[in-house]
Amino acid sequence: MSPAIPIALTVNGRSRTLDVAPHHTLLEVLRDDLALTGTKECCLVGECGACTVRLDGRIVDSCLVLAVEADGGEVTTIEGLAPEGGLTRLQGAFLDKGAVQCGFCIPGQVMAADDLLRRSPHPTVAEVEEGMAGNLCRCGCYAQITEAILAAAEEGGR
Amino acid sequence: MHTFAYARPATVAEALAILAEHGPDARVLAGGTDLVIRLRDGSLRPRVVVDIKRIAELGPGIRVADGRLVIAATTVMAEIAADERVRRDFTALAEAAAVVGSVQIRNRATLAGNVCNASPAADTAPSLLVYGAEVVAAGPAGVRRFPVDDLFVRSGVTTLAPAELVTAIELPIPAGRLGAAHARRTRRRGHDLASVTLAVAVDAAGVTRLAYGSVGPRPVLVVDESGVLADAAAPDAATAPAFERLFAAASPSPRSMRAGPEYRLAMLRVLGGRALRTAIARLAGE
Amino acid sequence: MTGARVGASPRRVGGAERVTGGQRYVADIHIPGELHVKLVTLPVARARIGAIDTSAAERVPGVRLIVTAADLPQPVPRFGPQFEDRPVLAVGETKYHGEPVAAVAADTRDAAEEAAGLVRVEHEELPAVFTLAAALDPAAPLVQDPALRPGDPLAGTNVLRVHRVGWGDVDAAAADLVVERRYAFPIVTHFAIEPHACLAAPDGDGIAVWSTIQHPNWLQRILAKLLGLPLAKVRVHAPDPGGGFGGKQHAKYEPLVALMALRADRPVRLVLTLEETFQAVRRAAAEVTVRTGLRADGTLAFQDVAADYLIGAYADIADRVVGKGSYVGAGPYRMPAARIVARSVLSHTVPSTAFRGFGNPQVNWAVESNLDEAALALGIDRLEIRLRNLARKGEAFIPWDTPADGDWAEATRRAADRIGWGTPAAPGRGRGIAVGIKSGPTTGLSYSTVRLLADGSVIVFAGTSDMGQGARTVFAQVAGDELGAPLDAVTVVMGDTAVVPYDQQTSASRSTVLMGNSVLAACREVQAKVRAMAARVHGVDEAAITVEHGVVRLPGRELPIRDVVAAGLGRLGGEVVGNGEMRKDADPGHPLQGAPAFFEFNCTAIEAAVDEETGDVTIVRHVTVSDVGKAINPLQVRMQDEGAAIQGLGHTLMEHYIYDLRGRVRNLGAIDYRIPTSMDLPLELHSEAVENADGPGPYGSKGMSEGALLCVAPAVAAAVRDACGAVIRDLPLSPERVWRALRERDAARAGREDAR
Ligand SMILES: Cc1cc2nc3c(=O)[nH]c(=O)nc-3n(C[C@H](O)[C@H](O)[C@H](O)COP(=O)(O)OP(=O)(O)OC[C@H]3O[C@@H](n4cnc5c(N)ncnc54)[C@H](O)[C@@H]3O)c2cc1C
Ligand code: FES
Ligand code: FES
Repeated sequence: MSPAIPIALTVNGRSRTLDVAPHHTLLEVLRDDLALTGTKECCLVGECGACTVRLDGRIVDSCLVLAVEADGGEVTTIEGLAPEGGLTRLQGAFLDKGAVQCGFCIPGQVMAADDLLRRSPHPTVAEVEEGMAGNLCRCGCYAQITEAILAAAEEGGR
Repeated sequence: MHTFAYARPATVAEALAILAEHGPDARVLAGGTDLVIRLRDGSLRPRVVVDIKRIAELGPGIRVADGRLVIAATTVMAEIAADERVRRDFTALAEAAAVVGSVQIRNRATLAGNVCNASPAADTAPSLLVYGAEVVAAGPAGVRRFPVDDLFVRSGVTTLAPAELVTAIELPIPAGRLGAAHARRTRRRGHDLASVTLAVAVDAAGVTRLAYGSVGPRPVLVVDESGVLADAAAPDAATAPAFERLFAAASPSPRSMRAGPEYRLAMLRVLGGRALRTAIARLAGE
Repeated sequence: MTGARVGASPRRVGGAERVTGGQRYVADIHIPGELHVKLVTLPVARARIGAIDTSAAERVPGVRLIVTAADLPQPVPRFGPQFEDRPVLAVGETKYHGEPVAAVAADTRDAAEEAAGLVRVEHEELPAVFTLAAALDPAAPLVQDPALRPGDPLAGTNVLRVHRVGWGDVDAAAADLVVERRYAFPIVTHFAIEPHACLAAPDGDGIAVWSTIQHPNWLQRILAKLLGLPLAKVRVHAPDPGGGFGGKQHAKYEPLVALMALRADRPVRLVLTLEETFQAVRRAAAEVTVRTGLRADGTLAFQDVAADYLIGAYADIADRVVGKGSYVGAGPYRMPAARIVARSVLSHTVPSTAFRGFGNPQVNWAVESNLDEAALALGIDRLEIRLRNLARKGEAFIPWDTPADGDWAEATRRAADRIGWGTPAAPGRGRGIAVGIKSGPTTGLSYSTVRLLADGSVIVFAGTSDMGQGARTVFAQVAGDELGAPLDAVTVVMGDTAVVPYDQQTSASRSTVLMGNSVLAACREVQAKVRAMAARVHGVDEAAITVEHGVVRLPGRELPIRDVVAAGLGRLGGEVVGNGEMRKDADPGHPLQGAPAFFEFNCTAIEAAVDEETGDVTIVRHVTVSDVGKAINPLQVRMQDEGAAIQGLGHTLMEHYIYDLRGRVRNLGAIDYRIPTSMDLPLELHSEAVENADGPGPYGSKGMSEGALLCVAPAVAAAVRDACGAVIRDLPLSPERVWRALRERDAARAGREDAR
């Protein structure tokens, strides 16, 4: 066993220091060490996007990032998007448009949609479909997710 | 995932020292979009993983120097696809970078990693080949620079020594106008690994450069200097043989589950033709 | 009459948790002291298991328990929903690639994984069958030990069962045209984004289990029997699954995990990888030969269907899938004569199980495609031939069974209208239309409890699993409407067998109808008690009082139910409790052991464009119309319908397992098993519901959510054929397949030219 490595990072605005195994992914550390279970685990190969988090201003599949790589970084997870007890406009739009079925893919979808609106505040349908293609939804909420993103954009953004 | 030691050198020299010390037991980690998958599935079991992302000399960044576009080793696809110079002067590369994986993948996947990984399906390889890109590699014996065409051996194997590190990919800025395009075939519209990926560039002198991947053990570059292919007005009888010659080097594996060889060869021609027409149109400024 | 909530589309109950990451799925639950389990599997399909050496694995720090079949109670317990044939761990031989032979429990995931890799299993690969042809060969090795099938005349074959349904005399039926073709449907998998997971922990003198299961009560029964515990000592927690689609109906590794927890005397958890989930659940492949007889005017004369389903190494619920899925194989048509013979064929592959559509998509693909073939041969419009033959409402289209229970022609016409049937399609485009039905539940038992609290808020206890279909929301709407509570004052409790009354299962699109009616009945009981309360408090004759939608009407005045309850309960407080029961008993005389409670009818119409050079299919427009009786929540109806449509596009266009010659799935996991992404949607997706309030559920509702998947493949294939003449009878319609079919079309055309 290689020794654990001390890392310091900011997660949802809070500074955290912890020791991580070099082979543990950011996903594992968020879920297991920091008990932030909103970020989901599915494919572990970067295909499904259920593990999407924002790392230093960019969304990534946290299953493909080693936790040590995030040392010194700033991480936002689904738990850190809205103020405690509230919803962002985008999250509300997901509910209003019926974009949530089982919900398992949804944290990743919301993170990706949030990022999309940051990069492109008034996206076209094609941009939304392209921008969200890294997030699989087996319940097939795609059309409703697109509607939710467009509605949030219309109403003033994320 | 098996465990390993993690090294995070701050300089190229430091990185090279670690690589030299551990030889084949060390692996360079850039974006990790290939490497982490292989660490998890156990197909690679290095003892040391060398993260090069904190090496200031390796970027990220895209700059122009001596008539070349220098893409530092840690530059990711998202930056390349969005870069104005790349989009203008290296359209096919911008197009290829823009279809690698998803947003999440493109935020991590590096160009250098894409070529070092040496997948026959690497989407940026054909465009790098048609633009005559060069690999800059630092190693125990110093820095060497060589055509990207000399990098690929076969799937997963390159001519890099274990102790070598790619520091940048360089593309000569074309002297004259070029028309270029990237095209690929996948099993669905959403992100997928290509069953044919190719790039075409034509220049004003009528030289056509075509490179294709995923139809053989490594990506291949073919050059047609006859001028007929770049001539939109040339009669079919003249272009057909030249066009056909372009594909002689394709040898898709019958064992792949992504597509059969017959289909790949057919798509190579269809997409090759389409990309060629796009490139010609772009050259003409359409 | 309905109140304000039914028929509206409020935000999904549990939605806020789901968009903020607060929703707890099984893998999010940790029990202090838990061990992590990793399964040990072999790199082959069928193999004789020899010596198992666990010594190296035991030396891995943190390893607490390793079990092999020898460590389990002997004979190794077997279980299954229909046949008790699946052993807790492989006994003697593995029967498919991925079947566990041992399991390791350790303090960490890492240690369990490492140790599992160090368990050495001597094994010898054995001859095996992975396809229908191989399994049906008289010389084929047997998948199931005949000793497990005592008295079964088929025990010496790989046919598990043969299901025969029919009426009229197919052989004597007069037909002007007979069309016979063979169609194939591949193995596909559920790919719920939540991989399967379960936890088990000793709980006093019993056991507690958390599972991604759809049927907690069924799992409870299986575990109680297997562990020799009273039902009351087996507590199954079933947090809302992250997608089920049928794959999570029945026990897989729960018995193993429960036994390990008892043996280790510690909590243990098993969270499968996606690859392991692919090796746990999948849909049966099928080859279906259809012989359709018609009169020259397009009237159907007979339907003769022979369907072979490739099920896996253990029966799971697969044979029921085969029997029920093929039962309506003659289609929703007036059919003078029909003969349907369906066989469930065992093979050395992943056990197949329930999957949205439950055996119907395979047959419907064949039957609807064959009808198109007939229409083409007769020169009759493909819509017209369907309208001519569709059973009319009330017509007994299966002579002894539930008559057609909807205006199916209306749904079909609407879909045709929306696709622009009869208007010319743009060049390179074509249209297709298909209809389909699926039988609803044939038996059922759903209890519920509704508690009206002193302040007028409501708690509903219902054992349905809300795996995305939105059952919580529907029950909250029903109870809220009946008792006058706003939705945010209604709580729906599910998924805990120690707390929630029995529900047989969450499947067959039953919950709105069966559990919905049960909740409605519980609410009615509450209302009756409130009426008695009002009579007592106000000194009025009960007969003069009505309670509706939260309002108590007394002669000359109306009171909110809350006020009546507060007054009626008095100083001690309390609550008004109602129980509901919805029972649909088995009918042993019926081929399905019960007539379907309803039929799910769908019509799907497609406009597709084909790139003839690449074989690429673009779905330009996808229209799905389902007969839902009454949409209690129209938005959820749309979500279910469109979700099913997209899943249907998956198996139609891209999904299939690819096996190697040794029976190993080559495309396990997400890299090479492709499902639709946001970029793979139809350019336009349009869903509509027919609402004639003619269903058996609350307010005339019917079950829905599977229908829109039934017709996708035949409608798309028909549109492709219409667009370019490519004929494909083998799913999926991958670009490569379409391209090949186009080459065949060209070759056939050239052949005709030559022949001239
Ligand atoms: C979901 C998904 C989708 C994908 N889709 C595509 C696609 O559409 N097209 C495509 O082409 N690829 C695709 N990929 C593959 C991958 O993203 C690319 O190959 C990527 O560019 C690799 O870069 P990286 O920085 O992530 O490399 P890493 O994973 O960090 O490294 C890859 C390999 O290159 C070596 N290496 C990396 N950098 C250097 C260096 N500077 N010097 C020496 N060796 C080095 C590493 O040791 C390793 O062996 C996909 C991957 C995933 C997970
Ligand atoms: S779990 Fe990370 S992309 Fe699927
Ligand atoms: S909502 Fe179930 S997977 Fe997306």
